[in-house]
Amino acid sequence: MYKKVLLTIAAAALSFAMSAQDQPTGGVKGTVVNRNGRVPVENARLVLMQGAAQVAQAQSAQDGTFYIPALEDGMYTLVITAPDFLDTQVQVTVNDGYVKNMFFLSVSAIQHTADIDDDAFGSVDFDDSGYNDNPSILFGSNDVFNNIAGFNFSSVRFRSRAYSSESQDVYLAGVKLNDAVTGYGPFSLWSGLNEAMRSKDVTNGLESSDVGFGGYNGVTNIFGTASQMRKGLRGSVLTNSTLYRLRVMASYATGRMDNGWAFAANVSARLGGNDWIDGVYYRSLAYYLAADKVIDDANTVSLVFFGTPGERGAQNSSTQEVYDLMGDNMYNSNWGYQNGKVRNQRVRKTHEPIAFAKWDFTPSDTYSHSVTAMFRFGTNGYTALDWFDAQDPRPDYYRNLPSYFYGAVDGVYQGDLNRNNIVKYDEATWVWQHAADYPELTHLNWDRLYNVNRNQGGRSKYIQSSRHTDQLDFNLAYNFKLNPIRELTLTGGLNARINRTEYFQTVEDLLGGEYFLDVDNFADRDFAATPYKTQNDLDYYLANGTERKLNRGDKYGYDYYAQIRNFGGWINGQYTIGQLSVNAGLRLGYESFWREGLVRKGLFPGQADNAAMQALWDAQGIVATSETSLGKSNVARFFTYAGKLGLNYVIGGNMRVYANVGYFNDAPHFNQVFLSPRTRNSMMGDLKTVKTFASDVNWQYSGNGINVRATAYYTTIKDQSKVMSAYDDIQNAFSNFAISGIDQRHMGFELGFKVPTYFVPNLSVQGVVSIGEAIYTSTPKMVQTVDNSAAFVAYPVNNAGTWESNTTIPLTYWKETFVRDSEGNKQVLQKHYVPSTPQTAMSLGLAWSYNYWFVDADIEYFDRAYLDMSPLYRTDYASTGLDGNTSDQEVIYMTTQEKFRPAILFNASVGKSWYIKRKYQLGFSLSAKNLLNNKKVKTGGYEQTRIVDNTVNAERFYRFDSKYFYMSGFNYMLNVYFRF
Amino acid sequence: MKKSIIAIFALAALVSCRSLIEEWQPVVQIGDNVPPQETLYTDADIAAMPDFPGSFKTIRELKALRTSGPIKMGTGSANSNFWIKGQIVSEDRSGNIYREMYLQDATGAIDLKIGKSSLYSEYSLGQWIYVKCDGLTLGSYKDMPQLGLEADQTETNEYESSYIDLQTIINDHVFKGQKDTPVAPQTITEEDLKASLNFPANPGFNGVLWGKLVKLEGLVYKDEIFALLYPNPALPHKSGNPENRVFLSGNGTWGITTWALSAQHFREMTKDGAFNSAEVGSGAKRYGAGSVAKTPREILTGTSEAGRIAAFGADADMPYWAIMNKYATANYVSHYFSFGSTDVQVRSSGYSKFADDNLPDAIVNQHRPTDIIGILTIYEGKAQLSLVTAPDDATNPSVIVK
Repeated sequence: MYKKVLLTIAAAALSFAMSAQDQPTGGVKGTVVNRNGRVPVENARLVLMQGAAQVAQAQSAQDGTFYIPALEDGMYTLVITAPDFLDTQVQVTVNDGYVKNMFFLSVSAIQHTADIDDDAFGSVDFDDSGYNDNPSILFGSNDVFNNIAGFNFSSVRFRSRAYSSESQDVYLAGVKLNDAVTGYGPFSLWSGLNEAMRSKDVTNGLESSDVGFGGYNGVTNIFGTASQMRKGLRGSVLTNSTLYRLRVMASYATGRMDNGWAFAANVSARLGGNDWIDGVYYRSLAYYLAADKVIDDANTVSLVFFGTPGERGAQNSSTQEVYDLMGDNMYNSNWGYQNGKVRNQRVRKTHEPIAFAKWDFTPSDTYSHSVTAMFRFGTNGYTALDWFDAQDPRPDYYRNLPSYFYGAVDGVYQGDLNRNNIVKYDEATWVWQHAADYPELTHLNWDRLYNVNRNQGGRSKYIQSSRHTDQLDFNLAYNFKLNPIRELTLTGGLNARINRTEYFQTVEDLLGGEYFLDVDNFADRDFAATPYKTQNDLDYYLANGTERKLNRGDKYGYDYYAQIRNFGGWINGQYTIGQLSVNAGLRLGYESFWREGLVRKGLFPGQADNAAMQALWDAQGIVATSETSLGKSNVARFFTYAGKLGLNYVIGGNMRVYANVGYFNDAPHFNQVFLSPRTRNSMMGDLKTVKTFASDVNWQYSGNGINVRATAYYTTIKDQSKVMSAYDDIQNAFSNFAISGIDQRHMGFELGFKVPTYFVPNLSVQGVVSIGEAIYTSTPKMVQTVDNSAAFVAYPVNNAGTWESNTTIPLTYWKETFVRDSEGNKQVLQKHYVPSTPQTAMSLGLAWSYNYWFVDADIEYFDRAYLDMSPLYRTDYASTGLDGNTSDQEVIYMTTQEKFRPAILFNASVGKSWYIKRKYQLGFSLSAKNLLNNKKVKTGGYEQTRIVDNTVNAERFYRFDSKYFYMSGFNYMLNVYFRF
Repeated sequence: MKKSIIAIFALAALVSCRSLIEEWQPVVQIGDNVPPQETLYTDADIAAMPDFPGSFKTIRELKALRTSGPIKMGTGSANSNFWIKGQIVSEDRSGNIYREMYLQDATGAIDLKIGKSSLYSEYSLGQWIYVKCDGLTLGSYKDMPQLGLEADQTETNEYESSYIDLQTIINDHVFKGQKDTPVAPQTITEEDLKASLNFPANPGFNGVLWGKLVKLEGLVYKDEIFALLYPNPALPHKSGNPENRVFLSGNGTWGITTWALSAQHFREMTKDGAFNSAEVGSGAKRYGAGSVAKTPREILTGTSEAGRIAAFGADADMPYWAIMNKYATANYVSHYFSFGSTDVQVRSSGYSKFADDNLPDAIVNQHRPTDIIGILTIYEGKAQLSLVTAPDDATNPSVIVK
C-alpha cells in the first residue's frame, strides 16, 4: 500500500519536473505607468488572454514592473486593470520563445474628487415605514458606465437598472456582507476608510466573481487586507458643502516587506455641518489596522480590524406645503433650538467593528483557495423622540399646517374636507412664511419638551430614545479557484452565516425629567381601563405591581432577536474554446430565521409558563393569547438555489460580445416576513421565495484609448413581500401592512463610453445613457393588522361588482391606474413604476488631462423618476370611499403615481498634482456640482399611508400629502492630498 | 507652484477652522445647554404689556356680553380690551375632559376651547391663566358658554366657536400664570342648581354655576342611562342622518354597569346582543324598537333611501349590531342621578381611563346617597356633571359613597 502511494507521489513529482523542464521560455514584461506623468502604478492586475481564455495573470510591483513567464509563442491580449484607472487592453505577440518587453504600458487615470461611498448619501431613517432609502453604490472604476454613472448620478440616488440595493452583492475579503436582516448594502461599515477599502474587484449585472456567485446586480469584492493597500504614507484634507465640512485622513502601508510581513493603517475623521441642510452634521472617526504575513510560497495569513465610531445627524422629509411655506426644499424638521443652540433629534450613533482573519492558500498556479472568518459586533442606534400621552412635538405635524385649517387639493378648495377656518389658515400661513420669527413653532421646540417634563413631578413625558439594531454576525467563507486544464476555470465556495440581531430601544435622554414609564402609548389609548394590557414588560408589572421606571440607558418598549442562519455553496465553471468561452454556475443554499422575544408584552402575553403563573394571571384577569410576544417564533425555512449561464465571444482582442442569463430562487428577508416584530411573533402566511429571471446582452470595446460598453437587459422578479407600518386613520390605530405577491419587470438599455476627440490632444468625450422601464406587473395581496390586536382588519372588497368583506385585500391598482368604460372594459391610464430612481439618466461630457492637470465638464439629464407608493391607496376601498360608489375621478385621484419633473444638471471638476523631488506628490481636486443651482430636483419620497376619512359628504377619501427629498443646489467638494 | 501650494494649504486651514467651529459650537449633546425654567406670568407682567387695558374683567362680565349669537371679541367697544384671569379647575389626565380647560374666578367659570390634547402636561390644576379675549369668540354649544376662536365656516358645523388649536394663537391669547393651590369644589344645593337652570333666556350665560368645579352631595342613582351611538362613526351621523344613529334611552341601563364604554367593552356588548332591542333613528325618523337587530337594507325601505343604503356599502346587509361591532369606538354614557327632584346626568367619555370601571354596587344596587365632584355643565337646559378625576382616584376621588 505504502509503496503504491510512494510510487504515485514519485511519478507525480517526476511528471511535474518534466513538465517544468518542458515549460516554454517566452514571456511578457514591462512597467505599468500612469499616462499622466509616467508614474509607476502599483498593484495593477494584468490578465493575459488568448481569445476568450485566460492564460496567465500577474500583479505589478511597487515600481510598476511585471513579468509573465512561460508563454508559448502566439498572439495575446493583455488586460490591465487598476484601482482608479480605466481598463486598458494591448495586443502582445510572443515570438521565438523570447520574453517580450513592452517597456511602458500607460493607463488612464480616473480623476475624481473623492470616492463614492456611504457618505455621499444623506442619512435618513424611516424605521418600519416600508420606505427603503438605502442607496446602491456603483463602484467599478474599471467599467466606463459604472465609473461615470457612479460618480455623477449618486446625487439623484440613481440605482442601476432600478434594482433595489439589496440585490447588489457586497463582499469583503470574500465574505458576503449584505445585512442579514434587510439585505441592504453594508457600505456604512467602512465609511471614511477610503484608502483601506480602495482595492476592489467589481463585476456587473449577472457576471460572477471569483469570490461569489453573485446575483443579477453585480458583485463588489473589497480586498481589505494590508498588502492590498497602496504602499506609503498618504494624507488628505477634504471639504464639501453638502454633508460635512471636513474630512482628514491619513494612511500608511508598508507593502510587502522582505520578511514577508505587510502592515497597514488608515484613520480618518469627518466633522462638521454643511451648507444646505440644517441639523445634519458628522462627528465620525474611522480606524483600520491590518497585517499580512507570507508564511511560505503557498500560505498567506491576514488579520484585519476596523471600525467607524461616530454619529451623524439625519435629515427628514416633509410635504411640499411645508417646503413652499418655508421657501426651502432643504427644510429639515428633525432639529430645533435648545436654549438657543441647534439640536437634532435623529442622530445615528454607531460603532460596529469588524475583525477578520483570512488564509490564502496557493499551492500551485492551477489551484488556490482562501478561507475567511469574520465577526461583526458593536452597536447601531438611531435616536428619536418618544412621548407618552403628550402632544406630537414635530413642527410639521399635519395639524400645525395651514392645510389642516383650510382644505384644498391641488390648489382647489374642497369643502368636503370640512376644513374651513380661514382665520387659522391665515395665521398658520403667516407663521410658516416668517419662520425666522417663530423658530419655536417651525422647528422642534426642545425648551418646551424640557418644561413639560419638569411639570410632571419627575416623570418625563418626552424622551429621546435610541432604537438599536445591534448585530452579532459571524461569517465563514471558503472560496477556491481551480484550473484543471487550461481551457477550464472552476471557481466556487462554501459559506455559513450565524447572525443574531437584537432590536431594542433604550432611554437616551430624559430631557429634564427623572424617569420614564415602560408603558405602551398606543395600547394605553385603547386599554387604559385594563392596565396589564398597556405594559411593555408584563412580567415586571406582575412581579412589582407597577410599571417599570426607566432611567437613562434602560431598555424599554420592545426587545427581541432576529435569529438568522444561512448555509450554502456555489460553483462556477468557465470553459474556453478559441474566441468563445462559456460559463455556467449553480448556487444552493439553506436559509432560516425566527424571532425570539425577550419581554412579555401585555397585549400578547401568550400562554402562562406554569400553573403558578396561570394562577397569578387568573387573579389579575390576564387573558392568555394564541399569539405571543415572548420566546421563539416558528422558524421560517427556505431552500434557495440559482443558476447562471453565460457566453462570451472575443473579436480581435479589443472587442467582446457577451450574454448572460440567470434564474434565482431567493429567500425573503426577516424584515419582509414578520407582521409586527416589535409586538409579537406572528408571520405572514404562505411564505414564498422570490423568483428572479435575469438576462443581458453586452457589447464592449476597450483599446486605443476608447472604452465603450453597451448592454440590453431584461429581468422579472416575482413573489416579493414587504411589511410596513404606519398610523391608519380608518382604524384609528398603529397598523401593519403585509404585502405579498409583488412582481416587477425591468428592461432597458445601458451605454457608457469614453472616446478621444483626436482633433484636440488629450481631450475625450465621455457619457452614459441609461433608459429603462421598471414596472410592477402584479396585483399583490395585503393583510392588515393593528398593533393592539391579533385580528386581521377586514375591508370591503369589490369582487366582480359585488362588495364582500375580506381580510385579504387585493391591491387592485398597484400595477396600474385604470378605469372601466360603460361596458366594463378596462382602460389603463398609467403603468406604475419602481420608484425612487430616474429610469432615464444621461450624461455627456468632456474630459481633458495634461501635465497633471485634469478638467471635466458634463451635462446630465434625468427623467421618469417616480414616487414610492402607499399600498392602502391602491385598494378598492380607498378609491371608493364610504359610499361604496367608485367614480373615475376618485380612482384617478387616489391611485395615480406621481412622476417627478425631469432635471438637467451641469457639473465640472478640475485637479492638479505636483511631484516634488520625484518622491512626494501634492495635489488637489475640486468638483462643483449642480452649477445652475437647481433646487427643485426631487430625489425620492413616499406617499403617506394615511387617509382623510371624516369628510362632509362621506362619499370619498382624500390622501395625506406626500413627503419628498430634494437634491441640494450648487455644491462643491475640495480634496487636497499629499502622498509619498 | 509655491503660491498654489500655499493657497491650497490656506484654504484647507480655513475650512478646518470653520468645521471646528461648527463641530463644537451648535450641536447639543445630552446634558448640555439645559434650557431655563419657563417664565410664568404675574399680574405685574401682564400689566406691563402694552395692550393691557389696566384691569381685568371677571368671567361673569365676559359671559354677560352675550345676548344672542356668538360674539367676536374686540370688535366693539363693549367687548374690546377684554382680559380675564382664572384658575384652572379641570384637567384631562383621566381622559374624561378633552381639548378644553375650565377657568374659574370668584364670579363664575368658562370653558376655554384651547384645542390641544394632554393639556395636563403643560398646565396644572390651580394655575392662574390670563386670557386676552380680543380676537377670540364667545359662543355656545347647546346652551353651554365656550370661549374659542371664530367658528368654522362649514354647513355642518354645530358650534359657535372653534378650537384655538394653533399654537401661535394660543401664545397670543393664553398666558400661563403662577401655580397656586387647586381650587376646592364648591358644594352646591339643589336650589343653587335650579337657580342656574331656570333663567328664561340664555340660562347657560346667566347661570353662575356652569363650568365650575362643584360637589353635589347626596345624589341617588336612577337606574337609567342615556347614550347616542353611531353604528358607523365614519359615515354621516348628524341629525340629518337618522339611519346612522341609535339612542340608548328610556329603557333603564341597557345592561351598562360601567361609567362609559371603551371600544373593547362596546364591542363585547354588541357581540352579546345587549343593544339589539334598541331603535335606529332619531327625531321624527325612527325605525322601530328592535331595528338594531335588522340590516340597513331591511329598515331603509323608502324609495328615497337608496342612497342611504348605498352609503353603508358592503355593510348594508349586516345587522346594525354587527356594524356597530365592526366599527366599535369608545362611547360616552350619561348615568342619571336624582339631586332632590332635579335630574343630573353624570357623563363620562369612553376614552376616559375609568370608562370600563363599574359603578360601585353601593350606588347601583343599594342606591346609597353619593357625593360626586366634577365640572358642572348645561346641555339643552339640563345639568350634566363631568368627572375630572377617576371615581376612585387614590388621592382625589370624584365619587364618594356615603
